[in-house]
Amino acid sequence: MPFSAPGLADDLTPDLLDHWNKEIDRQFRRLEPELGSQYFTLEPDGPTVDRVAVTWFGNPAEPEFCFDAATACTLSDWGVRGRRALHNEYCEYAVISATDTEGRIRPKRVQVTTELPEYYLMLAEHAPARLREILTGTLGTEPRWQELYGPAVADPQLLAPTQRRVAFARHLTGHGQHTDLIDADVPAEPAGSLNAVNALFMAHPINGLDDLIYIVMFGAKPYARRNSAGGFEPAGRDQIFRQQPGLEALSCRHADPAAALAAADAAFHGRTVSFADPLGMYIQQFTSEVFLFEGGPVPDPWIRLGRGQQGLTQRLEFGPADDDPHFLDEITVVEGDAEEPLTGGYEVVRQVQVGPIVALGAPRPVPPRDFVVLADSPGPVRCRDARVCTDTVGPLKEAFEAEALRPAAPGSRPRGGR
Amino acid sequence: MSVLQDGIYHGPGRRPPGHLALVFLRADPEADAAAVDDALREVTTLLRGLADGVVPELPGHPVPSAGLEFLLGFGPKAFDIAGAKLPCPAALGPRLRFRSPRPTGGGPLLVGGGLSYAADVTRNDATEEFCLQLTADTQLAVSRAVVELWKLLRGARTGDSRTATLEIAGIHTGFQRDDRRSWIGFHDGVSNLESADRERVISIGAADAGPDPWTIGGTCLVFARLAVDLDQWHLLPRAQQELLVGRDKLTGAPLTGRDADGRPVPAAGCPVTGTTEVTQPGNEDFLEPGPTADPVLLTSHVRRSNLTGTADPDQSGSLRVFRQGYEFFEPVAAAPGFRAGLNFVGFQDSPERVLRILTQRGWLGGVNFGGQPGPDGPAGRLLTVRAAGTYLVPPVRDGAPYPGAEAFG
Repeated sequence: MPFSAPGLADDLTPDLLDHWNKEIDRQFRRLEPELGSQYFTLEPDGPTVDRVAVTWFGNPAEPEFCFDAATACTLSDWGVRGRRALHNEYCEYAVISATDTEGRIRPKRVQVTTELPEYYLMLAEHAPARLREILTGTLGTEPRWQELYGPAVADPQLLAPTQRRVAFARHLTGHGQHTDLIDADVPAEPAGSLNAVNALFMAHPINGLDDLIYIVMFGAKPYARRNSAGGFEPAGRDQIFRQQPGLEALSCRHADPAAALAAADAAFHGRTVSFADPLGMYIQQFTSEVFLFEGGPVPDPWIRLGRGQQGLTQRLEFGPADDDPHFLDEITVVEGDAEEPLTGGYEVVRQVQVGPIVALGAPRPVPPRDFVVLADSPGPVRCRDARVCTDTVGPLKEAFEAEALRPAAPGSRPRGGR
Repeated sequence: MSVLQDGIYHGPGRRPPGHLALVFLRADPEADAAAVDDALREVTTLLRGLADGVVPELPGHPVPSAGLEFLLGFGPKAFDIAGAKLPCPAALGPRLRFRSPRPTGGGPLLVGGGLSYAADVTRNDATEEFCLQLTADTQLAVSRAVVELWKLLRGARTGDSRTATLEIAGIHTGFQRDDRRSWIGFHDGVSNLESADRERVISIGAADAGPDPWTIGGTCLVFARLAVDLDQWHLLPRAQQELLVGRDKLTGAPLTGRDADGRPVPAAGCPVTGTTEVTQPGNEDFLEPGPTADPVLLTSHVRRSNLTGTADPDQSGSLRVFRQGYEFFEPVAAAPGFRAGLNFVGFQDSPERVLRILTQRGWLGGVNFGGQPGPDGPAGRLLTVRAAGTYLVPPVRDGAPYPGAEAFG
């Protein structure tokens, strides 16, 4: 089926829509040999499908299970370093700072995005003018071409489409594990600052379209275990994620087990799983009620959902606008009996539930031969032992602590300023 | 080795015994850790004796214990006792506590939540230093334990103020219903955790304990005494009740949709032939509601309270808890002459699971029971809170005089 633009956010020409669908189809075909299943399709089957939201919380899970909630908050809020290392739940954010009347740099608002980088890559490759138009709408100012394609590109129309794709990736998305971009020597981390200072779209390598399709396809099989009566019952998270080395770590995040287990549950009941149109990652809920300003609800203009129609939004801006005299830290986050000033984005995305919308076919009996019977798990996955703790989160924590101990250079600005 | 205390009936086939008393114990502000340690030793020794049928003033004449079990919980204030050897654990930090009622009565239980204290509640007795959960097969057994506890504490009163180190500050009793329904007439507790998943949700593991390794193997108890406005509930037609709950009222079958007239449609084939209730054997596939796209069903209580039904319960983001609730019924002076409701008792590795269920939008955030958020809906003020608290339930350790003794001894 042809998918619409994510969130129905943009009117695309038929040509661009075709490019977007080809990208989706290309990722699907690449994964199909390994993960293909009669329980996953890109073609939802007719009028009996249920459109079901699959959701999880947007805050990074890894630093919390590796250390604790306070560490997770600190590291996740560590500007672009925290974002690139930790924001891997298909939800990224940036904190916009501004100077107050006393000259202090303070957090002004949080930008949260769930937009897929491949969508922007497609626009960058095939429709630079449309890309710039969309980003102008998001930023409020028109970005220069050099901010999008790199300092050497004054006019992307002079480049071939493939050159535009590579230049944009090098500057704003990173290679995202796409082999053509890796082959073109695009680094994992983009060089440009526009999507680092602002959260325009996701750039963490695991937050891509390919990963989203992968995890739902991976889950969409009737995984089972034998019960004591000899029948089948749904396999658990530990069994499913212990099928292959390397998958175990995914089971500890919010996103992958939620997406995979929802698909697996549907397949176990004989339902086909597909992405509902439009395919995308969406901000499903935002619990703004736990934030107070001057003892009351946060003013409505400080909560701006965008980049999508109702129920399909991919962007949240939370906090005062530039022309508002207030700052983010005047908002209080109230949890339980605690009231603390809001200083970063982690406490915001803790209140954000994200996820795709899937289309489930009607239940039907699963032939016994279809069940993918998995071995019993040798015990629960111990998330704190995951390699990400020693390979990624631990070193990031050490780097943060080292920087915190380092004397500030004269005239240096506080972290997170711009 | 550290293990969960008794009184958490999480194992396969185990069901909570019929009767409950939750007793909240206030520590004398003048008492220090040593005095509290002595008092807790005496209290737990007494209760262990009662569990064996030993009543102190009836030596050699045992009484039926009726399976009495007790569980000791520490509230945040326990760690403020002078000389306490451990700081308040992170699991009881301010973020993980309920708010207090207004001095004039009422007020929200949580900002962002849909539950409020009853207008006549000005004091929340579930915030005292300690709580004791007493469970037994008979009302007599739990009542006897309370009375014997009172005798013990009364006998310990000393000094000018004539107060004991520990005093009973509040008691809430309850009972199990043999019909597995609640006061609103619907099946309750059907969609609880499977026994195989329970301990992973309940027990505090190394990754949960953070800076408090002494809590590993313990759990957290969250209590809320919720009175139900039956007068309001019974004004609602059955179909509306069912859409608010998410189940068929008679059979307990989960709803799967609405018909052309908007009336609830229960799951086909539930209950299976030869049964009449979803709780009977053979209906296991129908205990949890399946996925739906129906916007009304998505707001029902059973779905709002378990939004990520397919998530792994072990993950904190699943917000799964092990519920072990007890209904209550108590005479009151005002019409209709009684108050009924639920003692919500949840066990989980962190109170955060419950507090987030109660505040997250899409879950029970902004919702009193089910349906659309706001107080003006059909179930907008169905439930009111009489008391609520969060307690750490320390693990049992070999050789320790009582669970959590390292905090005072």
